[in-house]
Amino acid sequence: MKLAIDENRCKGCNLCTKVCPYKIFKEGKKLNRKGVPIPELDRPERCANCRLRNLYGRQLCGVCQLTCPDQAIHWIDEEPYEPHKVAIEY
Amino acid sequence: MTRPEFWQGNTACAEGALAAGCSFFGGYPITPSTEIAEHLAAKLPKKGGVFMQMEDEIASMASIIGASWAGARAMTATSGPGFSLMMENIGFAAMTETPCVVVNVQRGGPSTGQPTMSAQGDMMQVRFGSHGDYAVIALCPATVQEMYELTVKCFNLADKYRVPVFLMADETIGHMREKILIPDTVERVGRKPFVPGNPPFRAADPDLIPGFPQFGTGHHVHVTGLTHDERGYPAATSPQLHMDLVKRLVDKIENARDEMADYDVINPDAEQVFIAYGAPVRTVQQVMHDRKDPNIGFLRIRVVWPFPEKALAKFKNAKRFLIPEMNLGQIAREIERHVKVPVRSIPKLGGELHTPAELVRALEAQP
Amino acid sequence: MSFEDWYRQDRLPHIFCAGCGNGTVINCTLAAVEQMGWKQEETIFVSGIGCSSRASGYILADSLHTTHGRALAFATGVKMANKGLHVVVFTGDGDLAAIGGNHFIHACRRNIDLTVVCMNNQIYGMTGGQGSPTTPLGCLSSTTPYGCAEPPFDLCELAAAAGANYVSRWTSYHVKELEKAVKAGLETPGFSFIEALVQCPTAFGRRNKFKQVADHVEHLRSHSLLKAKRDRMIENGEQIPAGMFVVGELTRRNRPAMGVKP
Repeated sequence: MKLAIDENRCKGCNLCTKVCPYKIFKEGKKLNRKGVPIPELDRPERCANCRLRNLYGRQLCGVCQLTCPDQAIHWIDEEPYEPHKVAIEY
Repeated sequence: MTRPEFWQGNTACAEGALAAGCSFFGGYPITPSTEIAEHLAAKLPKKGGVFMQMEDEIASMASIIGASWAGARAMTATSGPGFSLMMENIGFAAMTETPCVVVNVQRGGPSTGQPTMSAQGDMMQVRFGSHGDYAVIALCPATVQEMYELTVKCFNLADKYRVPVFLMADETIGHMREKILIPDTVERVGRKPFVPGNPPFRAADPDLIPGFPQFGTGHHVHVTGLTHDERGYPAATSPQLHMDLVKRLVDKIENARDEMADYDVINPDAEQVFIAYGAPVRTVQQVMHDRKDPNIGFLRIRVVWPFPEKALAKFKNAKRFLIPEMNLGQIAREIERHVKVPVRSIPKLGGELHTPAELVRALEAQP
Repeated sequence: MSFEDWYRQDRLPHIFCAGCGNGTVINCTLAAVEQMGWKQEETIFVSGIGCSSRASGYILADSLHTTHGRALAFATGVKMANKGLHVVVFTGDGDLAAIGGNHFIHACRRNIDLTVVCMNNQIYGMTGGQGSPTTPLGCLSSTTPYGCAEPPFDLCELAAAAGANYVSRWTSYHVKELEKAVKAGLETPGFSFIEALVQCPTAFGRRNKFKQVADHVEHLRSHSLLKAKRDRMIENGEQIPAGMFVVGELTRRNRPAMGVKP
């Protein structure tokens, strides 16, 4: 699972930056189509729901989504993980 | 088959509602309409219906709109002061096209006025009382028999046209007892079924009435008193949309004016023509009976709103229209708009009926 | 299915201002409704007039957006005419406590099986920030420019005194608790009242020293006093600091209820 912010819905209140226990949401500078600065995601792979939802089969935490007054935060399914070769230098 | 009864008008109204399949009554006690609530409080629960005594008339009107959307045939009964309180929600019912029946047993106004006396002072309020442009249907019974029959008719008109329908009775008819013949069955006209998949407020048919998407049937309809598009979504700032919506709400009633007209024409060749509705009908009938003069015509109106203007044209030789009303000439003014000959209003306030002598005096007085 | 599926996606984003707490309360309510496993076709949302009452229009279910203050009277009609429907009422402080005050106490008295979620922003938001019956003493609004001189209503105590079966208060900060409270309200037969204090940055915060949305939310957090703690303080004879409000489940009882599905 992956965190996503719907740029069309976000009104830039930055409440998500206050409620996330991992402080994944940071106040952003990038403006959306309406000229509202939308939050940035800081290492979203730390999100408990992203990591463990499929494992546990239920919603975990989810406070950012509940708090977001504009229904702009949701989780999307990630592409399946593709293994790739890593060159290791000795 | 019919069965005779000796009832007062309010009882006949309540029994008419039961016969029509009324399943929800929300009301508040007010003289002179209380007997309707009392009768239904006793009878409705036994028939599986719901009687709610609400905290005021505003809540009464609100509750029947809610009940109507939940599928009930819903009714309330009140009198002048309560009727004034209902006005905002009557506008809501007109805007949201909610079928419901409101009985107004009229009493002397303004304000608290004469609680136990008869009047017809709410005839303009019923048509224009809520803010904005809209159209409603109002019926006026003149006998206890009509109290029964027109109540049934109110439910059918409300469901057919998706509009609040008013039974504008008066204290005289409401409290008078007379013989009435109860039919075994009454006609029931249901609501137009909703075609799933259509926007809930799209009126595709020429009658301009959309199907009724009842709550709890999975149509996800949003009902709002705001100006709404055909999906039911608020769109309160679009001038064209508002124009189209309000025009449709008015036209669906006004276009059906002739279809729902209900009146009697007596002596259409007469030169002097009485027009009456409600209790004054009885005095005019007495005059007609006493004089037996083919030169005196009589137009007796049952559906007062929308006003049956074509009925006036049936009196081709009419030189004068005489309108006895228990108000200061509210419908007389409406009639003036439609005819070229003189219209003489015969107002009477205070709660007493016109006497035949008063009408004869008006008849004989030179214009 | 998650609570997101209860939104009319074609109507979002909604009309609420940036930082308004109403959206949060709708999320929590819908999350609770979703947990109840109710079907969309048998759940009805009724609301009156005001910011909070726009909520019903964003929900993918039958919804009735009514006249000012009368939501509970309409909801009474819906519920009594079809007891199989689940009826949830969204309302605001002005809608519920001022113009609809009479309907409120009578719905509590009847103990009719409704769940009422009141978004209390302590102001009339939609008309531009006039004082409401819950504006705290001394607070500024466009109609109380010298500070509100009238003592406010405590809506929860009012509901409990009038006879509601379930009463609780939370804020838009306490999302998980609010969700649980709404769920408890939905489960309780009879009248359930959940007051959710919400921030109104545009009309209330702006005039009352909450320059940022977060300041107001922080105020809601820091000034809420858990009911258990309040009870403990009273037991110990401690003074409850001014400006604090009690949060938590305040009333739960089993008075005879009306309109419960047989």
